[in-house]
Amino acid sequence: MLSGFGLVFVAVVVAWLAAFRPRAHVERSPAEERRFSLRWILGGGIVLPGVSILALLVFGVPTGQRMLPVTLPGETPPQVIEVVGHQWWWEIRYPGEQGDVVTANHLVMPAGEPVEFHVTSADVIHAFWVPRLGGKIDMLPGRTNRIRLEADEPGVFGAQCAEFCGVQHTHMHLHVEALPREEYEVWLDARRSPLPEDEAHAQARQDFIQHCAGCHRVAGLSDGERGPDLSDIGSRATLGAGVMAMEEGAIARWLATHQSLKPGNRMPSHDDLEDETLERLGAWLENLTP
Amino acid sequence: MLHRELELAWGSPAGLRGMLTVVNHGTLGLRFMVTGLVFFLLGGVLAMLVRTQLAFPDQDFMSPDVYSQVTTMHGTVMMFLFAIPVLEGLAIYLIPKMIGTRDLACPRLTAFGYWCYLFGGIILFSSLLLDMAPDSGWFMYTPLSSGEYSPGSGSDFWLLGITFVEISALSAGVELTVSILRTRASGMALHRMPLFAWYILAMALMIVVGFPPLILGSVLLELERAVGMPFFAVAGGGDPVLWQHLFWLFGHPEVYIIFLPAAGIVSTLIPVFAGRPMVGYGWIVASILITGFISFGLWVHHMFTVGIPQLAQAFFSAASMLVAVPTAIQVFVWLTTLWLGRPRMTLPMLWVLGFLVIFVCGGLTGVMLALVPFNWQVHDTHFVVAHMHYVLVGGMFFPLMAGLYYWLPLVTGRMPSESLGRLGFWLTFSGFNLTFLIMHWTGLLGMPRRIASYESAMGWDIYNLISSVGGFMMSAGIAVVLLDLALHGRFGRLAPRNPWCADTLEWAVATPPTSYTFASLPQVTSRHPLWEFPQLGESIRLGEHERAGAPHGRRELLGTDPLTGRVREIIHLPGNSVWPLAAALVLAVVCISLLVRLYPLALVAFVVAACMLLRWSWENGAHASATPLGDNEPSDPALHSRTPDGPGRWTMGVALLADGAFFLSLLFGWCYLWTVSPQWRMPDVSPLSLPMMIASGLALTLAASWLGRRCRAIVAGREEGLARAFAGIAALGGVHLLLLLTLAVQAALAPTDSAHDAVLWVGLAYLLVHATLATVLMLLQARRAALGLVSARLPFEPGVVLLFWRYHTGAYWILVAAIGVLPRVLGANA
Repeated sequence: MLSGFGLVFVAVVVAWLAAFRPRAHVERSPAEERRFSLRWILGGGIVLPGVSILALLVFGVPTGQRMLPVTLPGETPPQVIEVVGHQWWWEIRYPGEQGDVVTANHLVMPAGEPVEFHVTSADVIHAFWVPRLGGKIDMLPGRTNRIRLEADEPGVFGAQCAEFCGVQHTHMHLHVEALPREEYEVWLDARRSPLPEDEAHAQARQDFIQHCAGCHRVAGLSDGERGPDLSDIGSRATLGAGVMAMEEGAIARWLATHQSLKPGNRMPSHDDLEDETLERLGAWLENLTP
Repeated sequence: MLHRELELAWGSPAGLRGMLTVVNHGTLGLRFMVTGLVFFLLGGVLAMLVRTQLAFPDQDFMSPDVYSQVTTMHGTVMMFLFAIPVLEGLAIYLIPKMIGTRDLACPRLTAFGYWCYLFGGIILFSSLLLDMAPDSGWFMYTPLSSGEYSPGSGSDFWLLGITFVEISALSAGVELTVSILRTRASGMALHRMPLFAWYILAMALMIVVGFPPLILGSVLLELERAVGMPFFAVAGGGDPVLWQHLFWLFGHPEVYIIFLPAAGIVSTLIPVFAGRPMVGYGWIVASILITGFISFGLWVHHMFTVGIPQLAQAFFSAASMLVAVPTAIQVFVWLTTLWLGRPRMTLPMLWVLGFLVIFVCGGLTGVMLALVPFNWQVHDTHFVVAHMHYVLVGGMFFPLMAGLYYWLPLVTGRMPSESLGRLGFWLTFSGFNLTFLIMHWTGLLGMPRRIASYESAMGWDIYNLISSVGGFMMSAGIAVVLLDLALHGRFGRLAPRNPWCADTLEWAVATPPTSYTFASLPQVTSRHPLWEFPQLGESIRLGEHERAGAPHGRRELLGTDPLTGRVREIIHLPGNSVWPLAAALVLAVVCISLLVRLYPLALVAFVVAACMLLRWSWENGAHASATPLGDNEPSDPALHSRTPDGPGRWTMGVALLADGAFFLSLLFGWCYLWTVSPQWRMPDVSPLSLPMMIASGLALTLAASWLGRRCRAIVAGREEGLARAFAGIAALGGVHLLLLLTLAVQAALAPTDSAHDAVLWVGLAYLLVHATLATVLMLLQARRAALGLVSARLPFEPGVVLLFWRYHTGAYWILVAAIGVLPRVLGANA
């Protein structure tokens, strides 16, 4: 498409430069002039755009059809993953009969099959977009939009909120990972079974219930809904929706400095907590890897 | 002698008083343009801040918060405070000269428009200095711009400031329409009108129809922010997508509102520099009309990713591609004209060439964007930023510069410097392409719009750096152009009369033009008056044509038939007036008191402003300060206030067109929320009493038809008991108003709880304002009849008021049907 349009562009510009070029004036009779101009006006003004539009439609309509969330009779309905936009993070839900599996800022999908995303927003308008998988769709409060995407091969894809959603619009990345079907099932099952009690972190769990549980959920421990679900945070690639990479000590560092790393984010500053407490919390959370 | 007389009638007093009360189109047109250029420079500085921030990865030259303010204000300033006003200013300056008349039909409205623009612009821009500028993007999508997510005053600055500036655009739209239709030179039938006037006519009508949806949207969003009416809040039954519809209902026509006048400049320059008439005059006119028409059916293409039904997407996608056809026709008409002519490569033509290259490129990427799957991919990336700048800078700024260089000798009487001008052009042109050509690629690589920084790992570094270098190069180009403009006034060589050998009438006036523009009003017999009669300017100056001089001291011009250009009446214009400035100042007080949430003060100031506008309308017709009845008045043609169909009626008609567009947008909002809003709640029984609505409507209908009969009687020469009859009509209007008020109070609406009640509330408020205005206007007419200012000899004004009454009656019944009857018929769950 680009080369076709490039060709049209070059042709039009060359025609212009030729028309501007000083040259010997050719006398034409009024009738000749009329014929000449009619030919150009019809050719350039009607046929040229007509043909281009037709070509675009022939190319574009089938491409568009494939992205429609329509299940034809006889087809198995595709995997559904729900994505909810928040200022400025992503809530990912995997609906299931025994309750949803919930994660945040890290989307895992099966590769080699179409996946239907049901997207909505908890606050302002966001847009869900995985550039390498195709189109984008707005996430509107009060509505659920659907889009069907397919990753041909397993791999990691970057994604980014594509509708301006406030000061931290820049830092609203999503890490998308496509896994072969079996690995995807394993990944999902791991998140369905409760986390083992871990005696080593009993104090951290206490701290969490005291300071964090109001906003954050950890499966089997708390039900907070205002912030991202942290049940499997240790297994995610990034922190703060793409602000920093997950590595040892990252969570404690994030907890201590998140308001300068991502100014304006909705989590209150934790100045009131001892560094020690933050480190303890961080060490435990990093361990949450189902 | 001739000229002294005219100067006496048309000139402004010297000093500050003259500057503040002037209503002349020449002075005000220039003021519009200069003010617009100042805002352009300010907007340009903001753009350079953005390019500085994005030049390197991971920069924190600006915090994300400041960055959001700067990008929002860059878009807002360029669109609302530069592009539209500057083109309006150009039209205001040129149109009377081009159509061979002395001033615009509503000179005080010109002044009012300018002051509204200036004050609105200052208020809006001051927010940036106060560090509380709007930061939700120039499109102000809710809920991001709502009270919940933008609690500061930023959004209020935007909504109030822009509405204020839009009053100015509407004023210009109305008066340009009326002037082009009713005050063309004798003999200038529609098919002899310069193409530029066709373009401006289309632009003006599009402003009149296209701006009201955004004004409605702004009013609703401000009501939501100020008092909590949930028009766009899902929890209250509203829908944020309604804002997007209202915004783009305005926003897409607006692209053509900017493009059409610019294309008009190109269509004016090309025949002149090709040295031959345009080959396809009819093709161009048809393209203009089709573009104007289609552009109102495109708005949804900004919303393809919102989740619009497939069929609607297909429709809007096809319409968006179709709009390429009229544009392509124009491009090829221009091409053919040049091809068949003897092109001269002058400085203005250089800018035209730049326009063509850039605009064709922008148009092609536009067609690509109209394709839904491609749109899904690049929507909200830098690809769109590049496309938009190609269309807007290519389609508006380059032609504007061409026009600036072309008409500069007319305004100042001097020629610009060829060498500086060429340097400025090449710097701007290459800088522009360097910035934005590469940005297409950055967008295809996936860089989203409106992000304040990016990581080096994304691989966008080098492209952004090139874009930034290009941006500064373009700034340098514009600085050179400004330098040229500044120097030419002093060092430029004197321009000969009609230096480009142009064909249109503006080159027949003196350079620089005088306050009265034409010393005598020429008759036009062809599309190219100056090619046909190269000496026309001289004979006009010598007073050899119509209405030479002004022994009566009136500001006179000819009112002509909209189709044939046959002379119908002599229009007498009001002189300098302080009311436009005073009214605009008080409106600025309204605006500021709304900003600081002093609602009682806002209400008082609003009433004061309304009184001032009415006081302004008082000095009309045969009023002592306008044109009192005299003994030896011209009778053929007669003065317009002595006829039943002067331009004032047309002004009212066009203004009501805008009012109607506002009203239709409101109806659209009602139907949209009712059918689409996800959590819409409607009471089982309508809170509005049907008998009360019908009773109030009957009183109104009775009054309007009484007024209609009276108007016919006046034209037939019967004027007995006029003042009493008018008072009676006003009294009936009062009954209608009272019943309506009772209805509104009885309904006990809870507009802050549900979108349903909020829409009803706005609908009733709309009717109440109109009912009050209709009644007050009628009372004033009764008073004027008693004073002898309305009579069989002066039949003009009641006809104007009648139009308003008829409009209100129509709107009343339509709204009653929509909010009173329809819910009862269809039931709440329809």
